[in-house]
Amino acid sequence: MGIKLFKQPKLKKPELFCGWPGIGNIGLIAIDTLKGVLMAEEFAEIDPWDFFYPEKVSIRDGLLKDLEFPSNKFYYQRLKNRDVIFFIGEKQPTEGGRMYATGEKACQIANLVLDVVEKFGCHRVYTSGACVSPVHHTMKPRVVSVLSSDKLAEEVTRYPNTILVSEMGGRESEGVITGLNGLLLAVAKNRGLESICLMGEIPDWLSGSPFPYPKASKSVLEVFAEILGISIDLTVLDEMTDQIEGIVEKIYEGFPSEIKERYDQRKFVAQAKPGGITEQDARWIKEHINGFFKKGGEQGGERSV
Amino acid sequence: MEKDLFEIYQPSQLQNPSLLVGWQTHDVGKLSSKVIHFLTEKLGGQKIAEIKPSGFFPLAGAAFKGNFIQVPESKFWACEKSNLLIFNSEEPTYEWYRFLTAILDFAEHYCQAKELYTISARPSLTAHTTPRRILAVYNQPEFQKPLQGYGLEDMTWEGPPAISSYLLWAAERRDIPGVSLWPEIPFYLAAGEDPSAAKLTLSFLDRRFNLGLDLGELDLEITNQYEKIAGLRRQDTEIDEYINRLESGLSLNEEEQVKLAREVYEVLGKRS
Repeated sequence: MGIKLFKQPKLKKPELFCGWPGIGNIGLIAIDTLKGVLMAEEFAEIDPWDFFYPEKVSIRDGLLKDLEFPSNKFYYQRLKNRDVIFFIGEKQPTEGGRMYATGEKACQIANLVLDVVEKFGCHRVYTSGACVSPVHHTMKPRVVSVLSSDKLAEEVTRYPNTILVSEMGGRESEGVITGLNGLLLAVAKNRGLESICLMGEIPDWLSGSPFPYPKASKSVLEVFAEILGISIDLTVLDEMTDQIEGIVEKIYEGFPSEIKERYDQRKFVAQAKPGGITEQDARWIKEHINGFFKKGGEQGGERSV
Repeated sequence: MEKDLFEIYQPSQLQNPSLLVGWQTHDVGKLSSKVIHFLTEKLGGQKIAEIKPSGFFPLAGAAFKGNFIQVPESKFWACEKSNLLIFNSEEPTYEWYRFLTAILDFAEHYCQAKELYTISARPSLTAHTTPRRILAVYNQPEFQKPLQGYGLEDMTWEGPPAISSYLLWAAERRDIPGVSLWPEIPFYLAAGEDPSAAKLTLSFLDRRFNLGLDLGELDLEITNQYEKIAGLRRQDTEIDEYINRLESGLSLNEEEQVKLAREVYEVLGKRS
């Protein structure tokens, strides 16, 4: 299994921001946007063929010109007060048509990513994803964190709009961060690296939708900006958010008034006291709303609350 | 070369052979299976090795098709007189790159194979009475030139790759020249067999490698198939009209295509 290093940048204790596709592509959009804003430079790549079947072939006048694989690339940037590495995986390596990576391949790619960044002295890993929550779509998504150790809790709770997963309330704080956005944290923790997952909230009924949820990516990105001590122009994400909000509003307008009324309770309950709507309400809303999307995501997503 | 991946039955006596690869999966018109079977039988092919299925195929149970247990087989055949190394397999379910690497490792390191030919087929919206074409994809322009006199037509295409294209790409990375052969098969013969396309492909291989093949038995199959379809055209004016339209270069809508394919499949007894 190969890694191509195009460059050997000199980096001082870089922090890794890592993104793979997931529910609403919340984490991937946040990290890819951050990488773009910081104009991070590509410096390495994991050979994709051990993990992926090629996605496109180009044949012209009888000659095989190109075979395209999902990319798995590393980027770096030196900021004023710290250095950062980004890893963007276009796809999770899966078997049998699953959405999320599992098993040996997932462990291999997680270890390869960490092999590369540890060479540069990386000591902390951030991933991001979706936190499927019983929230109203008009509310600002919070950022829910899961950490590798207690000592990170104080730092993380200073971030804006960020809570620990144990503060979600109403449920036991146990769950699974599905796929590589979760597994990487576990492998990093095993190697003694600090690891933090920052998940943007997505309303449960939208977790199976085929479109992205940039509103939550924006929440995550605001936290990343705070962590890095930078300001970020979020215009691009705002435009994308407006577009998706338009679609979501249209679906919402189609809800029968009874469902709408009960669902709207989330506006007044969930944010002030997370998980405050009753189990019965949540079940009732979910039963009625889930039918709007035939194509559902995998149950639970990155983390189901 | 990962030696554990192989079961080797006998040493190879081949001298810089050409490697021919056929796939049983997605085998349009059963062309690949038919061509490979014909060659191994007529050229006295000997099984010399196989790639073990473990790690490449799901082995949680036994699959069956029709009434028969299906065993994933990935075998190398040596046709010594013709100096051909033939590989025939299902497409792997897992670890495609490792599997393709294993094929090329065996061919290159164990047999010193000099070039690669893959055999697949693609359905086309043409009539069975239209002369067949073989479309070709090369991995090196230098290999394209010497094959230009054989009547192959250059393919242009973009989209999801077949495993043959993946193998061709992997061969190019080792500087092994290769070509993928894609004979066209009328779509309504794709679920059965197309002896005309098989004959055209074998004729090409016969000329390319001086195999001295007698393709007479395929002529009988072709005549038999044409007669059955002609009978269907006489009985069913709608089918006749569909085929007439294809013969005139016109197209059919989806419903008409399905009907034609189903009727022809039935009349050919589900097997040509």
